[in-house]
Amino acid sequence: MKDPVKESWNEGQRRANAEYTAKRRRVTIDPITRLEGHGKIDIFMDDKGDVEKAYFQIPELRGFEVFSLGRPAEDMPQITSRICGVCPTAHHMASTKALDMLYSVEPTSAAKKLRELIYNVFMLEDHALHVYILGGPDFIVGPDAPAAMRNVLGVVEKVGEEVGLKVIGMRRRLREFIAYLGGKAIHPVFGLPGGVAKGIDPADLDGFRQLADDGVEFAQFTLQVFNDIVLKNAEYVKLITSDAFTHKTHYMGLVDDDNRVNFYDGKVRVVDPSGKEILKFTAEQYGEVVSEHVEPWSYVKFAFLKSVGWKGFTDGADSGVYCVAPLARLNVADGMATPQAQAALEQYFGLLGRPVHHTLANHWARAIEMLYAAERIQELIDDPEIASRDIRTIPTATPKVGMGIVEAPRGTLFHHYETDANGILTMVNLIVATQNNAARMAMSVENAAKGLIHGGHVDEGLLNKVEMAFRAYDPCHACATHSLPGQMPLVARIRNKQGKIVETLRRDSGIVGKR
Amino acid sequence: MLGLGNDILTDDAVGLLAARALRERFGGTVDVVEAGESGLSLLDHVEGYDRVLILDAVVSGQVEVGTVLEFGMDDLGSPVAPSPHFTGMPEMWALGRRLKLQLPQEIRILALEVARPFVFGESLSEEVAPALPAFIQAASDILREWDERPRA
Repeated sequence: MKDPVKESWNEGQRRANAEYTAKRRRVTIDPITRLEGHGKIDIFMDDKGDVEKAYFQIPELRGFEVFSLGRPAEDMPQITSRICGVCPTAHHMASTKALDMLYSVEPTSAAKKLRELIYNVFMLEDHALHVYILGGPDFIVGPDAPAAMRNVLGVVEKVGEEVGLKVIGMRRRLREFIAYLGGKAIHPVFGLPGGVAKGIDPADLDGFRQLADDGVEFAQFTLQVFNDIVLKNAEYVKLITSDAFTHKTHYMGLVDDDNRVNFYDGKVRVVDPSGKEILKFTAEQYGEVVSEHVEPWSYVKFAFLKSVGWKGFTDGADSGVYCVAPLARLNVADGMATPQAQAALEQYFGLLGRPVHHTLANHWARAIEMLYAAERIQELIDDPEIASRDIRTIPTATPKVGMGIVEAPRGTLFHHYETDANGILTMVNLIVATQNNAARMAMSVENAAKGLIHGGHVDEGLLNKVEMAFRAYDPCHACATHSLPGQMPLVARIRNKQGKIVETLRRDSGIVGKR
Repeated sequence: MLGLGNDILTDDAVGLLAARALRERFGGTVDVVEAGESGLSLLDHVEGYDRVLILDAVVSGQVEVGTVLEFGMDDLGSPVAPSPHFTGMPEMWALGRRLKLQLPQEIRILALEVARPFVFGESLSEEVAPALPAFIQAASDILREWDERPRA
């Protein structure tokens, strides 16, 4: 962050913090430990004990910019892929594309295809993990299932052991493919300015084609599961389309030249709540389009559309709040670039209308994107150029400014670097998917709180409903990726009008260690 | 032995640092793996082994920073509804059992209570750095014990 910006940020923080502490009548869903790695929800009640405002704060890793400055820009694809153990490939690819621009170098055609290939493999794997393991408890097991069943075991009970093994096996093979091209699956060493480090041996193509075919079958199966378990259940459909989980916001996502969904490359398209295109922009224009709003209660900066403006946490065409991730990607595109995914898309819009404003429809959209990713892998494996050895253009220009955009599984991801003539970083700015979604996510949490707190009475299902609301976005809670205990603690401290705690709802990990 | 963590997140690196140190001592007899992955991918690393020692950072907030804690899989509690973006070790373990994967007979988890795992940095915090040798020693003791005791 540049100094004047930092000063005004700090000033804004100070002012807002002072206002914030002056407020009263607070309900807090508070961290149970003393550190900052947890979700935090502040709920303000009015005189009647109904919810006036609710604030959702997601944990964030800190100090990345300071950490990066002074390092060579070419280290960024490796460094940024280590930010988080969940979506390393998304950061790696956004960073690689930023380096293309930084060094003014155009990757070879084969290199672009190899990048898109590995990227779709990653998307398929990550989406599968979310559908079955993370989001599965909400819509496969069911929102009303007993707490003890709302986990991965419940998913296995419902879909069968065979399917559990299929998920594990598919995931492993996809990761092996990423490792084939990029080395360690978790920290890929693959993208370079102007190309990639490794190509495919033609002798290995048959094996990968088999994986792609199995991927398509797996994605079709997943859509079938969704059809059978969710769409055939009127109660589920009612829940998905209920007001509590609906916001009519703007949407943002990458599209190709024909305005079809693309995860790796293209232009970013923005549509208004009626589905009409209002903006289309390239990586270098992102600063003109996206601005960030600061709130006193959150480290997260809330992204909004500059041209529409910040009107608070509210939806509608006059509010600059927008949404990214699967739901948004399908809303901004005219269609899918592959035939089976296009058919699935038509069914989706046929049932839910267009654009779709229901947050929980993200789960369905995610399954459609799995199918697109798998079909796109098939196409790329069959491309005559895919085993080419012409995989890199060597950069010769002096570096200056680089920006790169990809669609991470959880939404549009921006990387922006500036360097001196030696390629040493002087400025780094990342806008991650969760930041793009932060405002809408906060609105979803507020809706959940409003629905479950009335007259000072707090429904026991609050944490569950709140979690369901934000889990659909697949937000990046980077802090929780591998440190024990591993689950994000949530504790609801319910305070009466006088600020006294009257009730506590908690969901923590309860680990017991020996010294 | 599986060292978990992120070596650019200050204290979160302790599991990796300990694993690296122990690779030198036990390299010939123990497979040492460093990983930054969460939940489900851990199955890939532990499947097929008889015994696994996991090293990680912990933030219990209930003991002094620098304390070495030990857990067994049973101590981690039953799988709860998953956190928003993560599959924890209990889920991994329960899923592996449910699907009858070939899981280790014995898993021990050593975790060092840390102070700063959420801030980017490549060196340990002042409070945690002095505790690293004791953490390494505790892991080393377990590996030696396993080396001397025949497998069940």
